[in-house]
Amino acid sequence: MVMNTDVQMRPQAHQIDIAGWFGRYGTILSLVLLLVVFSALEPRVFPTFANLVNVLEQISIQGTISAGLTICLIMGLYDLSIAAMVTLGGYLCPLLLTGTPLPVPLSIALTLLVAAAIGAINGAIVSYMGISAFIATLAMGSILTGSVLGISGSKSIVSGIPDSFMVIGQGDIAGIPVAVIIMLLVVLLFWVVSEHTQFGRTLCAIGSNAEASRLAGIATKRYPPAALSICAVCSALGGVIVSSTLGAGRPENIGDPYLLNAFASVFIGASTLRPGRFHILGTMVGVLLIGVIDNGLSILGVATFWQYIVQGLLLISSLFASGILKLRKG
Amino acid sequence: MVKVFPGTRALDGVDLQVRHGEIHALLGQNGAGKSTLIRAIAGADPPTSGSIFVDGGEVRIDTPQTARSYGVAVVHQHFNLAADLSVRENLFLGHDFPRRWNGLVDWRSLNDKAQALLDRLGLKIDPRANVGDLRPDELAMIAIARAIASDAKVIILDEPTAALLPDEVAVLFAHIRRLAAEGHAFLYVSHRLSEVFEIADRITVLRDGRRIGTWPLAETTRAAVIAAIVGSNRAEVDEMRPSEASRGAVVLSVTNATSEGVKNFTCTLRAGEVVGFAGLPGSGAEEAVAMIYGRQPLQSGVFELDGKARSFRSVRDAKAAGLALIPKDRHGEAMLSGLTVRENISLPILDKFVIDPVLRLLRTPRERRHAEQIASRLSIKTSGVDAPIDTLSGGNQQKVILGRWLGARSRIFLMMAPTAAVDIGAKAEIYHLIRKLAVDGAAILFTSPEVEEYRRVCNRVLVFHGGDVVGELTGEEATETRIMEIAAGSQYGYEH
Repeated sequence: MVMNTDVQMRPQAHQIDIAGWFGRYGTILSLVLLLVVFSALEPRVFPTFANLVNVLEQISIQGTISAGLTICLIMGLYDLSIAAMVTLGGYLCPLLLTGTPLPVPLSIALTLLVAAAIGAINGAIVSYMGISAFIATLAMGSILTGSVLGISGSKSIVSGIPDSFMVIGQGDIAGIPVAVIIMLLVVLLFWVVSEHTQFGRTLCAIGSNAEASRLAGIATKRYPPAALSICAVCSALGGVIVSSTLGAGRPENIGDPYLLNAFASVFIGASTLRPGRFHILGTMVGVLLIGVIDNGLSILGVATFWQYIVQGLLLISSLFASGILKLRKG
Repeated sequence: MVKVFPGTRALDGVDLQVRHGEIHALLGQNGAGKSTLIRAIAGADPPTSGSIFVDGGEVRIDTPQTARSYGVAVVHQHFNLAADLSVRENLFLGHDFPRRWNGLVDWRSLNDKAQALLDRLGLKIDPRANVGDLRPDELAMIAIARAIASDAKVIILDEPTAALLPDEVAVLFAHIRRLAAEGHAFLYVSHRLSEVFEIADRITVLRDGRRIGTWPLAETTRAAVIAAIVGSNRAEVDEMRPSEASRGAVVLSVTNATSEGVKNFTCTLRAGEVVGFAGLPGSGAEEAVAMIYGRQPLQSGVFELDGKARSFRSVRDAKAAGLALIPKDRHGEAMLSGLTVRENISLPILDKFVIDPVLRLLRTPRERRHAEQIASRLSIKTSGVDAPIDTLSGGNQQKVILGRWLGARSRIFLMMAPTAAVDIGAKAEIYHLIRKLAVDGAAILFTSPEVEEYRRVCNRVLVFHGGDVVGELTGEEATETRIMEIAAGSQYGYEH
C-alpha cells in the first residue's frame, strides 16, 4: 500500500528536535552520566557486581510500588493512599502470620486480597460518587493509617513470624534477591498488560480523553476500581516485602518514603522515551535513576539530607521536561 | 460615538459607526468577522492597522484595560460572572473594593454602592444574593450593570439572549431600551433575526470579513438582511446527495421524544439517506442528536430500531445497536491526544483484535493493517499510523475520527459538524465518504454550522426551533436562505 509522507513541518523544526531528543533520551543520558561519575569517584566500590545487585535490591520495593502507580497514572488517577497501603501490607501480613494458623502463602494472598478490595473501594468512590481520585485516596490513606494504628495499639509485631516468611525480603535465588525477582515479574506482567492487552490500551485511551472513550462505547466507570486495586495490591506487596526484610510488622511510618519516590519515578518515566506518556519501562528508568543517586551518594559519604534535596530537584526538573514537551506537542 | 477602521487578516477594510443612544446590530455568519471586530474594539486582539475614534478623537486601544478606560465594555455570551460570589462582589470585580480603616473590605459601603447601581437600573435584585441563584435574564442584566459600573458608554452584547427564554428576552430588551434612551450605546451581536428586528435601530452585516452594508431598521427587510448575510451570488456548489434510489427501509424512528432541550420530537430515518438536523444554537438540533445517542436521558417518547421498540439507556447501548457518533468538539470529545493514529482508529473496535479471552492480548499486526487500510482508504496524510494524531492537520485528524467507525459495522452515523474547521480538500473527501456510506446502506444524520452544506449533502433537512422540528425541506429546497428563515422562527415550513 502507499502511504503519503506529507508530515506537517513546524517552523523551528531543528530546535525542537534537540529538545525532543533530550525529552526522549535525557533521563537515560543522565543515568549513564551518573554511573560514569560515581564509577570514576569510587572505582573500587561503585562499579562492582555486588554493588549492582545491591542497587537492584534497594530499588526492588520501590520498583514494585511504582509499577502499580504507573497503571493508575496511565488513566490519569492519582493514588495518594500508597504510603498507608504499604504500611497496611507490612502490618497485616505479620499479623495474619502470628495471629492465625494460616500458612505463609495464604497470609500473603489474603493481605493482597484485602488491599485489592480497598483499592476497588477507592475506585468505586471515584466512579460512582464522583470524587476525584486525588481526594478519595488521600482520605482513604488517612482511614487506613488510623485503622492500622488502632488495631495494633501502636505496637510492632516482632516475635512469632516464621522464618520461611523472611525468604521474601532476605533470601535469594542463584545470587539474585527474591525481592528483585518479584519486582522483575511484576514489571514484566505490567509491561504485557499495559502495552499488549485491551485493558492496557483502554487505560491509555481513558487517560488521554475520557469523554471520547465513553462515546466510543467504553464503560469508563469500570476502570478506576480496577486500576486502583492493581496499585493497592502492588503497594501492599511492597509492604509485605518490607516487613519480611525487617522481620517485623511495624504499624507506623513504613510506607511514607515510598509515596514521593513513586510519583517521582513515574513522572521521570513520562519524560523518558515517550514524552508525555506514562509507561512501565520509563518508570523503571526513573526508579533506577533515583536508586543510583541514593546508592552513589551513600557510597560517597554524602549526608542523607542531600538525598532528599536531590530527589526533590530531580522530580521538579523531570516534570518540567515532560510538561514542556507536552506543551510543544499540543 | 465610536468609529472603527480596523485592519486584520480576518477583516478587510471594515468600518463601523455606533452613535450615542443607539442599539446597533452586528450580523453575519460564523467566520464573517464579527468576533474579530469585537475583539479589536474591546482590545482583546488589537488590529494590525486601522483606527478607533471615541467621541471624535482617535484613541489607541490595545488592551482590555484601555478599552475600559475609553468606556468600551463587552458582555460575553456566558456573561463571565463568578457564580459562587454575590451580586455586589461581581458588580465591582476588578475594581478596588472600598476598605475600612484597618484595610479590610468595607462590606456595608460596597453593599450601598451595589444597591445604588441596581436601583439606578431598576433591578430588583438583592446585592447579597448569590449570582448562581439568579435567572438568566438577571444574569444578563448583572453583566450589563457591571459594564455600567465601569462607566461604559459603548456596551458590546455578544449573543446575550442565547440562554434566555422568550419572556426573559422581553424583560432584558426593556432594560436595554431604557439604557439606550439614557445615552448608552449598544453593539448587539446575534444570530436571532427576529430579536434583531425587534430591538435594533440600525443593522450592519458582515460577510467574509467585509462590511456588506449598514441600514436603518426602517429601510430594510428581513429578506434583504438574510440575502446580505448569506450572499446572493455565491457560486453553486456540487451537490453530493445520494440519489433517491438508494433509500431503503426505516431503520430508526423516534416518536414524541422529550429530553433536555428537545420537546416532543418525532422523526424517521431510512437506510441510504442523509438527513440534516439544522437550527440555531440551542434550537434542539444538536440536543436531538445527543438524545438519540443516549448522551441525554430520555424523559418520554419511544425509539424503534428496525421496527422494534428499543431504548438506549447509555451511549454503550446506542453503540451496541449500531449507532456511531462523530462529536462536534473534536478535541474535547473525539481525539485521543498523545496517542497514535492507529490507537485512535481502533478505539471502538478493539474487541476485533483480541486474541484470548483472559488476558485479552491484542493482535497488534492485524490492528496496524486495519489502521493502514483505513488511512489509505480515506487518504489520511500521515508519516505512518504510529505517528501521534496531534502531528496531523485538522482535516486529517477528522478523517481519523470518521475512520474509527468504519470497521465498527455501524448502520446509523450521527455526524455532528464533521466538516468544521477542515480545509476545502478534506471537506470534499468527507462529503464523498458520507455519500458512499449512505449508498452502501447506512443511515446518516448530519449537522453543520455552515448552513449551505445541508443542501450539498442532505436528502432531507429537519429545521429546529425551540426544541422541536418546525420545518422539513427536501434537499433541493434546503437553501441557506430557506433554512435560516425557518430557523429564525418565521414559519415558512409546516407546523406540528
